[in-house]
Amino acid sequence: MTSRRTWTHEDIKAAADGNVEHYATVSRRDLMKGGLAAAAAASGAFTMPFIPGAAQAAMAGDVITLTWEGFDNLESTKEWASKNGVKVTNSSMATQDDVQTKLVGGSPVRLDVTSYNQAYNKFYADELKILNALDTAKLPNYNQTDIFAPFYQKERWFWNGTQWGVPFCWGLVALVYNPKMMAKPTSYKDLLKPELKGKIVISDDNTGTWPTFAKVAGVDSYPNVSKDELKKIFENAKLYRAQAKSFAASNGDIVSLMISGEIAACLCCGTDSVASAKRQGGSADYAIPSEGAFMWSDALCIPKSTGNPDGALAFINEAMGATAQAAQAKKTICGTPNSKAVALMDADTKGLFDYANLNEVLKNTPLLGIPPRESKEFATYDEWVQAYEGLKSGI
Amino acid sequence: MAGSLSPRERTGLLLAAPAVVFMLCFFIVPSLLLLVYSFYRSKAFVPIPDFVLDNYARALTSAGFWLVMWLSVKIGLITAVLSVATSFPVAWYIVYRTRSNTLLYLILASWITSYLVRIYAWRMILGSNGFVNTTLKQLGLITQPLEFILYNPVAVIIALVHIYLPLTLLMLLSALRDVKPDYLDAARDLGAGPVTTLLKVTLPMIYRGLVGSFMFTTVLAASDYVAPQVLGGTSSMTVGLLISNQFRQTGNWPFGAAMAFISFLIFVEIYLIFVLLLRLAGLAPHRRYH
Repeated sequence: MTSRRTWTHEDIKAAADGNVEHYATVSRRDLMKGGLAAAAAASGAFTMPFIPGAAQAAMAGDVITLTWEGFDNLESTKEWASKNGVKVTNSSMATQDDVQTKLVGGSPVRLDVTSYNQAYNKFYADELKILNALDTAKLPNYNQTDIFAPFYQKERWFWNGTQWGVPFCWGLVALVYNPKMMAKPTSYKDLLKPELKGKIVISDDNTGTWPTFAKVAGVDSYPNVSKDELKKIFENAKLYRAQAKSFAASNGDIVSLMISGEIAACLCCGTDSVASAKRQGGSADYAIPSEGAFMWSDALCIPKSTGNPDGALAFINEAMGATAQAAQAKKTICGTPNSKAVALMDADTKGLFDYANLNEVLKNTPLLGIPPRESKEFATYDEWVQAYEGLKSGI
Repeated sequence: MAGSLSPRERTGLLLAAPAVVFMLCFFIVPSLLLLVYSFYRSKAFVPIPDFVLDNYARALTSAGFWLVMWLSVKIGLITAVLSVATSFPVAWYIVYRTRSNTLLYLILASWITSYLVRIYAWRMILGSNGFVNTTLKQLGLITQPLEFILYNPVAVIIALVHIYLPLTLLMLLSALRDVKPDYLDAARDLGAGPVTTLLKVTLPMIYRGLVGSFMFTTVLAASDYVAPQVLGGTSSMTVGLLISNQFRQTGNWPFGAAMAFISFLIFVEIYLIFVLLLRLAGLAPHRRYH
């Protein structure tokens, strides 16, 4: 028997895979050393968030992703992953803030691919500096020919000659309602009718709720609103809070409340939840109120904490391909930025958006940013959070 | 120093060491780091080393913080009172009236399911079209669903009592099992009635279990932010959520840390007040019985 001084990666992997022949060659002393190493590694994992600069090892062939539930691109890239021996592991975020929480500080969590809402572009790349620039030479599926012009190298994903993210889906945030419980609303103000008291919810997602509050209060300059306008916005929002049953924690929560007949409408919600409710046998539809609605778009990006940058780029490239995009759009009931994917969609998925006039659609409903982090002229992001917390606390 | 320890003491130390080391590494050290953070300044998710009291001053002068803290403490205290009050008779029954643990296992069975499943189950039970309203409607007792039983603090407290009742039951059970029936018989022989026996013998002897179960439930229920969010309606903001927002949304870790330590001090105060009240009521024995 050959005695080894320490366990190698192969030894540990073989043991984990149940490869008895391989790890049978390890002596009892080695086994104890390995056990101690494993214990040290486990305790290291616990203390990691508190030890500045601690790095995490990467395993080749693994791609670790963090996305919104359902927006994982797992099914659409399954064949590619299997063919290339890539193991994609996904976890879901509950809010966009989960991303920066995992990536800031001295000991960021290893993530190879994640996504950002268009509003967080410069906040992530320039301010927090948590993103890697993307090497577009390794993203052939993201090209000027296939990608709709509004999604190709535009300011939300590309600035100063650098590509930071690749938009992979988009949709509409509007007023979602249950047609069996109320007539089609024409204005957000319809939700204030006495008969709807306790029958509406407010989505607890600031990327959608804040711009909607601004619109409802008649302030069209979001995200750049003055401090006085901020006061006006949240004074007006109190009317909707008084009318609401709750602040819904997620889109799934909104759908569940709508299906169970607890609510008749949600102040602002991704229109994909309509299809989700219908799939579960519920009744739902969306309306674009006279005050307007707005678009959102999420982009795939590579955090600096990646352990597999090449695998991450290859994964993003595959997810941007026409076939994968068509499959992902069908699954999530969202729009695709890939023009070739449209031809591969079924009629229902294709009919969700007016792809023939995409430029016009985006001109009327632009992709919004977030309030400035620091400003003397406008209400800052922190001031928005404080005002929003005040609203939720009932102040 | 180790040489002066007896083998018995050394064994005791060795047995206690894993838990002590674990708590030291994964609770005490991180808590101290958090305390240090609470004096830092912050800019866009980046804590800046400093020694300022601004974070404490900001929290202590914020009406929102105190309002949310009051709601959280109220939920915690009511949950604890109800959990202890309802689990004490059950613990009594199990210890003194039956040798069977069937009732205990039935109550503990709810812990087999996940916390989230239980919270959502309560929404299905208390909802407009849930079990309670549907049953009452079918019985002809109501025509419109009772709206006050869901999406308010009442629903939150009902769910939290359900979640923490097994915990208080276990702690009270453990405490009561140390009160031998001989003590109760002796009290009776000396002329004490059931109430006097309860107040003069049983409660003082289970003092530690009582304080432990009450405080555990108060702190856990007051810090919970999932149940209030799912069942609490628009009054769903709790101090746990407020603190987590500082770490997740605004990236102001120092401010979140300061709020966490203020909450900790408030819970310590609640503990001291509770102990003082028990002493004033003559329920704190000032000695160990077992």
